Amino acid sequence: MKRIMTRSLVLWFITFAFLGGMVYLGGKTIWFHNDWVQQPFNGHMNTAGGLGKAGKIYDRNNLTLAYSENDERHYSDDQTTREALLHVVGDGTLNISTAVQSRYRTSLSGYNFILGAGIPDSLRPNSDVKLTVDAAACRAAYAAMDGHKGCCVVYNYRTGEVLCDTSTPSYDPAAPPQITEENMSDYDGVYLDNVVSSRFTPGSVFKIITAAAAIENIPDIDRMSFECGGSLDVEGNPITCESAHGTQSFSEAFANSCNCAFAQIAIQVGADQMKATAEKLGFNNDSFRMSDVPLVTSHYDATGAGDNYLAWSGIGQYEDLANPMLMAMICSCVANGGTATSPYIVSDDGNLVDKLNITVNKSKDVEMLASGTAARLRELMKGSAESYAYRGVSLAGLDFYAKTGTAEVGQDKEPTAWFVGFTNDEKHPYAFAAVVTEGGYGITAASPVVEAAIGALVNGK
Amino acid sequence: MNLQVLLDVAAIALRALLPVYALVIIYQCFASARRHRRPEKPLVTLEILQTGQQIPVLFWENSIGRSKGSDIRVSDISVSRDHCVFLRRKEGWFVSDIGSKFGTFVNGERCEGRTKVILDDEITIGHTTLVLKRGEEYQERLRPSWFFSKASDKGALKPYKLMILITFFHLFMAVEACFSNEVKDFAPLYIFGAMEAVMWAFFCISSYALNRVNFELEALACFLSGMGVLMLVRQELRSAVVQLVAMAIGMILFAVIVRFIEDPDRVNSWRLWIMLGSVGLLAINLIFGRVQNGAANWINIGGVSVQPSEFVKVAFIFVGASALDKLQTKRNFIEFIAFSAICVGALALMGDFGTALIFFMTFLLIAFMRSGDFKTVILAIAAAAFAVFIILNIKPYVADRFSAWGHVWEHTQDSGGYQQVRVMTYMASGGLFGVGVGNGYLKYVFASESDLVFGLVAEELGVIVAFSLAAAIIALAFYARAITTRSRSSFYAISACCAAGLMVVQSALNIFGIMDLLPLTGVTLPFLSAGGSSMISCWGLLAFIKAADERTYAAKRRAPANALRERGAVS
Repeated sequence: MKRIMTRSLVLWFITFAFLGGMVYLGGKTIWFHNDWVQQPFNGHMNTAGGLGKAGKIYDRNNLTLAYSENDERHYSDDQTTREALLHVVGDGTLNISTAVQSRYRTSLSGYNFILGAGIPDSLRPNSDVKLTVDAAACRAAYAAMDGHKGCCVVYNYRTGEVLCDTSTPSYDPAAPPQITEENMSDYDGVYLDNVVSSRFTPGSVFKIITAAAAIENIPDIDRMSFECGGSLDVEGNPITCESAHGTQSFSEAFANSCNCAFAQIAIQVGADQMKATAEKLGFNNDSFRMSDVPLVTSHYDATGAGDNYLAWSGIGQYEDLANPMLMAMICSCVANGGTATSPYIVSDDGNLVDKLNITVNKSKDVEMLASGTAARLRELMKGSAESYAYRGVSLAGLDFYAKTGTAEVGQDKEPTAWFVGFTNDEKHPYAFAAVVTEGGYGITAASPVVEAAIGALVNGK
Repeated sequence: MNLQVLLDVAAIALRALLPVYALVIIYQCFASARRHRRPEKPLVTLEILQTGQQIPVLFWENSIGRSKGSDIRVSDISVSRDHCVFLRRKEGWFVSDIGSKFGTFVNGERCEGRTKVILDDEITIGHTTLVLKRGEEYQERLRPSWFFSKASDKGALKPYKLMILITFFHLFMAVEACFSNEVKDFAPLYIFGAMEAVMWAFFCISSYALNRVNFELEALACFLSGMGVLMLVRQELRSAVVQLVAMAIGMILFAVIVRFIEDPDRVNSWRLWIMLGSVGLLAINLIFGRVQNGAANWINIGGVSVQPSEFVKVAFIFVGASALDKLQTKRNFIEFIAFSAICVGALALMGDFGTALIFFMTFLLIAFMRSGDFKTVILAIAAAAFAVFIILNIKPYVADRFSAWGHVWEHTQDSGGYQQVRVMTYMASGGLFGVGVGNGYLKYVFASESDLVFGLVAEELGVIVAFSLAAAIIALAFYARAITTRSRSSFYAISACCAAGLMVVQSALNIFGIMDLLPLTGVTLPFLSAGGSSMISCWGLLAFIKAADERTYAAKRRAPANALRERGAVS
């Protein structure tokens, strides 16, 4: 019996292993409960029970964007406002994963691990949240999109507050559509906030990056001149401009958005240096955030692709993909003399945020360029904004710096229109990016969206 | 408005009270198990005739031999390492030779099989003669045990009070279920009423008809099974009823097994039939088995689905354990190994890898407790690893069933991780105190009442209650191990440890499986999971732990002592 007693200690061994596992799982539950709760399939969260008792959401002017009453979620009275802010606010489902109502669903609904999701109404903590966005600006930009797919972002490059964030296609969160096979194409990408979650072929706005690479890598770039005969043959493949620009300086080539010149510049800089500069400016980097929403990674890499593709990549074609928020951040870097301000969307105004336990997450600002490079880019963007093509553009009369893009996307589609830049004004320091897909020329399709947004911001509603 | 706040605070307070209450009940069950320890003094004494040295006999079964591990160690070169076994039965004391070189003699006569020994009889082994003396004649303080409380400690709850506590816990659950968000009716109260009737009837029969002095193990099982039944009420009323009936059958099986193994030698004569019956059951299962959830481990008998492997678990323990003198024989061990191989093989063929793993782990446990031989255990693991390797090579699709293991969050919408992620999501949604019985969402997920019941409890009753269920199983294992030191036979010691070990392994596979620490194998959580066969077999397994507690047959304990005295008087 003595021997069996000793051997029976092996039962302790098994039991301790089980105990250890349970302790580990208990720790895991405490550690990860928030991630576990916040799942799109969670019945406690994705029905009226989730948002029916959630707190209010305000814009920067304390305009109510969403609130709950009698176990139901209500949104702004104005349909355009509802649709314009759908991707920022979210709806009853968790389909738009980057929206406030999706990301902070548990905090908004008053969930905490101690009392669980079954907390009675009267004990639910107040969980209102205030955003940095301006509803009027979003509404104006949304209307200016005029049914095109795309997005517009405007943010304050001094503070990082995102003032306008609107994405299309959209729908009315008060009456979400039934998405069926027939209407699927109308709602393609509807659950993505294009500002943070999409990337587009940048076209000529990428010339900002190519120009930065040239400034940093070709010492005598400003003494060089570029011939444009309307077409440049690179390894048997022609790169064309709308018309022949003739002989131009570097500044003139940027202002004219000359493809032939920038194709040569990209080849001269070389694939490795192009990539290095693009990465300094946030391409191929997944660490950027708006509040704590990660930006989709922008892509640039032409190494090993040959001169022809390298030339195309230098004018924002080839495999280049840019995220609109990142483009706005690059503009803020130029505006700030080399440092990009990190954007955020949940206001730190008042004590709402502390209660909600939401990270305002003003991430550290990112040093992207040397101040000299930034200053030179600033001149280039000023030259671009003052060029003939921009003659009809007015951003509420503010002094502005900009670059347009018209990216070819093939497949017989109309090009993607871009308009990026910043305003130089003490009261209204805004960096912006707008994308209109199948919109045509950047200057005609995308700039009106920014004009509308900044117009609303400067002149009020 | 103020009244509403008051009512809500009251509801939350009640909900928060339930986990505390559950912990109190589980604590009380074991507090009571820790009492009533028999005074630790030797049962009898053996005196070495040649030296006059007195050896206390502490156990009901004692190995005598030259080896270090022997209960009674005789340093005599002519004594074999494991010479004989000196054991106590209802009829008195016996000595049984276990293949010694020079034999064992009682009063000069060489003994074959078990030979009765009475006071002042002389047992001769080698050149040593041992004389049987009374136990009172030897005094020595024994090593104290951490598990058992001291005699001076405060007394534990009386069994009936424990039952009242449990009844109220179930009542709270039933009332909460009556006011669930979706359905509001009094069906939970009817189930509650019927269930308590069954439990109290069991309690009364146990204490008055069967004269069992203690009830804490049964109380714990009642507590857990009752919780399982009430979790089903808002899921599917019919399965709650089935579960209740299974619980009643389980209680009967429990009582039958406790009675059956009262004589640990009776098992030995039935051993072959139990083995044949089990193999037959598994064979029927293999031939007529119905595939359900990827494993063909169900058969249908007259409209009732049963899972034969659950009953074979109980048989497995029967076959594995033996009295000390039988334990040493090679034949007994080889039979057990063959039986284990058949069981594990049959289960693997059915595709029920979870249960196969439980059997294998239990086999290792039993094999080690019997032989103490790490070589056997390592050999068995090596053989099993080889078998797994072969299976994965012949049937590579088997591995696919477990492919999502470790990264279930990438499989939230496919079968690989669908259940696991929902368990974790709803556990977290339940918080510490749960959302209330019947208010959960996990109940809409497939197998939530059986495989995922841990998550269901966590969501509706709270994470604390769920984790205290695991604590109860852990405590059960410690209890089983603590009582082996005082068991009446190695049969009880081994069977109790292995039954508890089986439950621990099963709980681990279940809980770790649904929380993605181990692959999801679809085994049940003891007592809690819906499933009649599982419920019945858990009560069957519990009977082994019950039988190992020396107090279980306490009323009968005086009999051998009297027999000894009478015989002693006669001689």
